[in-house]
Amino acid sequence: MKWKTLLLFCAVLMLAASVSACGSNKNENSTPSSPAAETKSTESASTEPSNSGEAPVAELEGDFEIQYFVGGYGDAWWKSVIAQFKEKYPKLNIKESAGPKINDQMKPRWIQGDPPDVIYLDGAGSNARQQIEDGQLLDLTDWIKEAANIDGEKITDKLIGQPDLFDGKVYTLPLVFGSWGVFYDKALFTQNNWEVPTDFESFLTVSEKIKAAGISPLVHAGVYPGYLVGGVLNPAIVSANGDDASILVDIANAKEGVYKSEAVLKALGQLVTLRDKGYLDKSAIALNHTDSQIQFLQHKDAFIPNGLWLENEMKKDTPAGFSFGWLPSITQAPGGKYVAVPYTNAIAIAKKAKNPEAAKAFLQFIYTSKAAVEWAEKTGALMNLKIDLESANASEVSKAAAKFYSSDNIVVAPTFAYAGEMGKTIEDATIALIDGKITPEQWAERAEKQAATERSKAK
Amino acid sequence: MKRNGGHPLARALSVTFLVFWAFMVVYPMVWTLFGSLKDNQQFFMGKPWNLPKLPLLWSNFSYTWDKYHFGAYFLNSVIVTLGSMALALILAASSAYVLARYSFKGSGVVYYFYIASLMIPGILALIPTFFLLFKLHLNNTFIGLITVYAIGAVPFGIFMLIGFFKALPRELEEAAVIDGASHFGTFFKIMLPLAKPGLLTFSIINLLGMWNEYAFALVLVNDPAKYTLPVGIAVMQAEMQYRTEWGALFAGLLMSIVPVLILYILFQNRITEGVTAGAVKA
Amino acid sequence: MSANLKRSLFIASFILPTFIVYCIFTVYPILRGIYISFTDWSGGSETMNFIGLDNYRELIHDPIIYKAAYNDYFIVFWKVIGIMLIATYFAVALTRLKIKGSAFYRIVFFFPNVISVVVIGVIWRFVYNPKLGILNSLLSFITGKPVETPWLGDSDYALWALLPPAIWAGIGFFMILLIAGIMSIPAPLYESAEIDGASQWKQFFHVTLPLLWEQLKVSVVLIVLTSLNGSFIIVSIMTYGGPDNATQVLGYRLFEKAFGTYQMGYASAVGVLILVLSLLTTVVMRWLMRRESVEVS
Repeated sequence: MKWKTLLLFCAVLMLAASVSACGSNKNENSTPSSPAAETKSTESASTEPSNSGEAPVAELEGDFEIQYFVGGYGDAWWKSVIAQFKEKYPKLNIKESAGPKINDQMKPRWIQGDPPDVIYLDGAGSNARQQIEDGQLLDLTDWIKEAANIDGEKITDKLIGQPDLFDGKVYTLPLVFGSWGVFYDKALFTQNNWEVPTDFESFLTVSEKIKAAGISPLVHAGVYPGYLVGGVLNPAIVSANGDDASILVDIANAKEGVYKSEAVLKALGQLVTLRDKGYLDKSAIALNHTDSQIQFLQHKDAFIPNGLWLENEMKKDTPAGFSFGWLPSITQAPGGKYVAVPYTNAIAIAKKAKNPEAAKAFLQFIYTSKAAVEWAEKTGALMNLKIDLESANASEVSKAAAKFYSSDNIVVAPTFAYAGEMGKTIEDATIALIDGKITPEQWAERAEKQAATERSKAK
Repeated sequence: MKRNGGHPLARALSVTFLVFWAFMVVYPMVWTLFGSLKDNQQFFMGKPWNLPKLPLLWSNFSYTWDKYHFGAYFLNSVIVTLGSMALALILAASSAYVLARYSFKGSGVVYYFYIASLMIPGILALIPTFFLLFKLHLNNTFIGLITVYAIGAVPFGIFMLIGFFKALPRELEEAAVIDGASHFGTFFKIMLPLAKPGLLTFSIINLLGMWNEYAFALVLVNDPAKYTLPVGIAVMQAEMQYRTEWGALFAGLLMSIVPVLILYILFQNRITEGVTAGAVKA
Repeated sequence: MSANLKRSLFIASFILPTFIVYCIFTVYPILRGIYISFTDWSGGSETMNFIGLDNYRELIHDPIIYKAAYNDYFIVFWKVIGIMLIATYFAVALTRLKIKGSAFYRIVFFFPNVISVVVIGVIWRFVYNPKLGILNSLLSFITGKPVETPWLGDSDYALWALLPPAIWAGIGFFMILLIAGIMSIPAPLYESAEIDGASQWKQFFHVTLPLLWEQLKVSVVLIVLTSLNGSFIIVSIMTYGGPDNATQVLGYRLFEKAFGTYQMGYASAVGVLILVLSLLTTVVMRWLMRRESVEVS
């Protein structure tokens, strides 16, 4: 039993080491995000009442619960606006249910009929369409027609992306207006004298140079193919479709024949070109988004399709001197327009909310220019509200994106939600395509087949 | 006893392979330990087998313990594991004893009723169990998870403990009856102490399984304050998609591994016995 | 109180509590799961309509189900081969060949069995990480050029890549089980074989294998059952069923449908399918191995 003693000794040693570490170093590690967020929120909150000047319209009180997913955008904005809201309505007892797993954690409460008042729909496990079908969200159709924010502006006038309709009704308000696109490091490009591509041709040219310099041109999060589909394939489809973006809605809605249309096949052909020329990082298919983003930040790869949250998400791991550049699309023909494929994340009120008045007041409180500017500052992304970003302290990427969006040289696609498993099918097939396992025709065949299934289910 | 040790070449090959496998088993743990002492830069830049740079980042452990609430998860796991072990013991031992030493109508049916569920995949029951706990207002409670774990261990426990109880000599029982002991008295004062090795083995096996259980804990517990360690690790891995802290993640892995490893080394005879008892008679 | 009544009361008080808890927490959920598989329940809705065999009809037409079932059996097959070969080899080596430190190996080889599958999955994900992982770093080091094989990302080898962790984690348990079996083989059998001049090899085939048959059989059935019901955990940690469903297994498909697209009814139908396949497989396995065991004895 000598061995036993020895092994036991080792194990005890390891445990002792970890325990002692827990005791001694407690002071050293500070939680990086929250203290900063809190000081900021109190500052802005204290200035708030003098700004608006007007007394609260109606006194709100009681419990008020907000559920929000914490992902790439972090929680700084939420903490701040909630603190300001509390300042305005001090009698409210506000509870935040937040975190990266919050959707799963709150699911039982929704089923039980004990939901929070307000829900921000984002992240894994969130599914607005399903919640509407299950009758969990409040019908906002009439309310939003007239609703004004606390500055007295009509909310719908200020929105960039209008609310999605389900059977002609509004259940959710888009809160985040994001855009897919392709990121690069401006500093790296300047340093190497690489030209920022303006179309597919120039993308191929510069990729050849990048490859020659020993860097892989394009990395993506293969474990979550949505990044490649959103940032590269979808814009390519729109360009190939003569800049008519409605094709994306047809694709999402399982329309017959759209998957084998010329536009789709041409766009898939562009992916095949990237694959065959070796511009796609071969190992990317095994990377999740963090892994792929790290590769990008470490200059192992030059381009990455991603969303506008990227800069904020990777703040901690971004090397000094890194300067995020963003292009809405890279697949348009020379002289063609850019294509921006936006995404939105919505906010909604629970049908069984216990404090619907406070919930509505909260929406009126956050759909303001002030909150939108703060969103841009804190998350580097865009809130779904028309504001002048130049004056704000927003990130360069957000400003660049805003500029792109307001230019004439761009097609902005509508937002859409995939029917059933259509999205999964497209993503799976796209991965198989770039891995050389199937041809564009087979991709189309698979998608058509799934679409047929979705259509028959809908009946 | 004299034994032929086999061909020298075969022996040499065997030893090589054994050493290789021992390395394969131990190295990932050593590597986890090293990883738990590194910062992100060392992960990105260095070779994965590099030793962690000095100073060692022991702070990863305290960071995981506090920031990722592993302290709480650890405690939850201890509560759930001990609670389910105790409950499983009570539920299984009582039934096993009666089934082993009393003959009554329907005892065969009851026995097979339990044994049959050893064949049925738990995953089918997973979702309904979630809604059942829900209706009983036991969701997100330790009691709910403990009950589910305990009853999940009962069929195997009955199966295993019946063997132990059957092996106890009849005479003891008869002597007890002559002394005027009641059925309860016989069980608690005589039979239970004698079956201690079996009960201990059963509990140790449960300990490993319950400490590491993931699927039910994931679905049945949605309150982060009540997460067990495996769920905590999975959640942490999910969080890694928004924040890269590999050192801290590895520290978390280690916190889950080390306690059971210690218990295993202490009680490895019991476990061997349990594995054998369970399988040889199956 | 008569002695008989006392006896009956005692039996009831010892049998009933367990039995009731068992019915509520084990039997009821299983029956309920079977019932849900005949409904269109989403999991969140208040309505639950009985739709007969519709979910099963969808199941038959779901190409991913076939792939998942194939993958399940692929994993089962190679796990059985891998674990049985290596575990039997180790069991024999540690008992019949006099090897120093056999107690050490016995203890150490069991280590992976005390670790949570979640932890195993996380560790092996790092082994396979294409850029930073041990495997590719080692291959790069040996070959001298950068190797960036996406082990878990290419559908050609992602499924294969799940096997090493599964086998790695299973060896210890079955080795212990087989060692116990070998130790219970009466020593005189080996002694007489040795007197006859039988080599270790012959002893293995003529003594160990036939007398170990029961344990081998149990092991195979256990591997089959545990992996049909448990493979989804390692899949959910390592690959999420991807790429392109290359590592999809039935258990994970159940999760996807239940919590991804909210088709609790369909998910339960997948659960019933797993149940049926497990039972069928066990019956077939036992039947196959029974015939052989008759031949040997």
